[in-house]
Parts: sequence; C-alpha cells; structure tokens
Amino acid sequence: MAPMSEYQLNKLLFDTAGRHQMVESISDEQELAAYDLSPAEREALREGDLTRLYELGANPYLIRRVFRPRFKI
Amino acid sequence: MGAIVAGCLTSHAPNITAKPVIADPRQRERFVAGLETMRRRLAAARPDVLVVFANDHLQNFFYDNMPAVCVGVAASYWAPSKGGAAFLKVPARQIPGARDWAKALVQAGLERGFDLAYAHELEFWDDVSVPLHFLLPDASVPIVPILTNCVAPPLPRPRRSYELGAFVEAFVDDARPGAERVALLGTGGISHWIGVPGHGRINPEFDQRVLDAIREGRGESLAFLTHDEIETQGGNGGQEVRNWIAVLGALHGKKGEVLAYEPVPDWLTGCGAVWMDV
Repeated sequence: MAPMSEYQLNKLLFDTAGRHQMVESISDEQELAAYDLSPAEREALREGDLTRLYELGANPYLIRRVFRPRFKI
Repeated sequence: MGAIVAGCLTSHAPNITAKPVIADPRQRERFVAGLETMRRRLAAARPDVLVVFANDHLQNFFYDNMPAVCVGVAASYWAPSKGGAAFLKVPARQIPGARDWAKALVQAGLERGFDLAYAHELEFWDDVSVPLHFLLPDASVPIVPILTNCVAPPLPRPRRSYELGAFVEAFVDDARPGAERVALLGTGGISHWIGVPGHGRINPEFDQRVLDAIREGRGESLAFLTHDEIETQGGNGGQEVRNWIAVLGALHGKKGEVLAYEPVPDWLTGCGAVWMDV
C-alpha cells in the first residue's frame, strides 16, 4: 500500500489534473505547502523529474496528464 | 436464459480519435477497417444490451476510494464527457445505460459471492468512448459498464477477471429472460507503456502471445498471467488486458478471429481488434 506521503503526492497531481492544468513542473510553494509531502517529493515536483516522481509512487496516468508538455507524443 | 450473441475485444487510446493522422496511414486504415467489420457484425447480432468491460483512468475514482470492480448502474453515461471530448476530438454524447440489468447483476453478485461496487454516475474518456465511437455510432444499444481497476495498484488478479466474466455469463444464462440478447465488449491493452520510464514502448511479441492464445481457444491461459509479467512484457497499460480476460472468461474455451493488429507507435498502443466465437 502507498505510504501517506505518496497518497498526498498523488492527491496534488489529481487536484492539478482536475483543474485541467498541464505543466512542466510544480514549484509554487503555496501549492506545495497545501499537501503533506516529503522533501524528496517536493524536490521532484519542483524539478519536474518524472522518473523520480514515478519512483516515489506517483501514478503514471497522473504524471502523463499533469506533465503532458513533457511528452513528445 | 438469455444468450450471449457477440464478444468483441478492442484496444483504446486517446490518439486513435484525437490524432488519427499521426499514425502510419496503412496501419490506421487496417485497424479502423477491423473496427468497421466488428461494428457490422455487432449490429447483425442485434444485441439488447452491451456489457462493456473497461477501466477508469482516474477520472472517476481516486486513491481515497478505489473499487477493484465497479458496475455502472446509471440510466445514461457521458461517453465522452465534455472534458473527454476536448482531448478526444469527438463530440460529447450520452449513451443509454441498462440500469435495471446492471442493478440485477450487482444483486446477483452479492447473492453468489461476487461483491461488486456500483456507481450511479460515471464519465468516460477513451476507455469506453473510443471503442463506442466506432462500434456504436448511433448509441442504439444500452450499455452496462463494468470497470476493473487496471491503473492504481494493487490490482485484482487476472484470474479474478476471468471469474468475473464467467459470473456474468452465468448471470445471463440463469437469471435473464429467454429472448434477451447480450453482447460483450472488453477494451484495453494490448501492450503499452504510459507515463512511466519507457513511455511509448509497445511490445508486439507480448501482443502476439495474447492474440495467439485467443485464436487457439486458450484464453484461460491468460488468466494465469501475473501482474509483474504483464508489467514487464506488456507495460503498465498492458494491465488493461484484464478487460479482455473477462470476456474470455465469459466465453470459456471459445476461439477469436483477429480482425486487426497494428502496433501504432504514435498512438502509443499495440492496437488489437478481435471478434470472438460465441
């Protein structure tokens, strides 16, 4: 099962996708502060490090939706 | 007893309708021709209801409340929804739902030890909308969507999907009126890697393994695939093969005719279309 922090990471991505926002990275500190994220998750979001986000438990379908501009196809 | 009069297996992907022209035209024509053959045969089977084994893509369900298997019990469904229509490039539309049929299925499940979640409201994206865009252009047959979690692990075992299909077949056989004609559609897969390292990969070898098993009437062998086997050979998108396996469970031992198979890189999917013997 996903640890709590991983749940919060996916919640942030789910909420972002729900607003139909597509971004290269997520670095808005106010937005990040609204979720109980680990330092590693925050860093990966700020850097838009998709591989790291996946390793940290971000759902790939949410990665795809939120970071759509990062994919060629 | 009702009768299963058709069994269809197809892939789905947003780009099939959103970006048809980015695919190799020969691949696109062959795959769409396969779907057109399927549409004609499905119409000729004159179904009263179409049971659609599909999966959510986290537009209806999230980690706060994730059903393993959920039956739609609504009177109609947006397929696609307005949001889905924006990226699928097909008009939003409502498809009728076979509400009483779906509720009876849920009730039968509770009585027979198959505890199904249910939902009175579901919106569909490519999962249901893309196959029905081709197969049910006039929305003339009410649907019963059965959504299996294929995208947010832990996932139900493929074996459970096979059992799910067998349960639906038994329900049609035991509990439905004699003249009722039921069609089945399983949609998802075959191989694709989405949003993961290796995004865009397709594995035609895995796809052929799946198609060969179905061609030869060995669909049950696919029920023994493991999560890890599918993930490494079919990608995370390959986990949707559960929706095919459910139809194979309903049509135990039957063979399928592969109408089309095209691994289309720009659609990010090994695109299959199979017509099942019933």
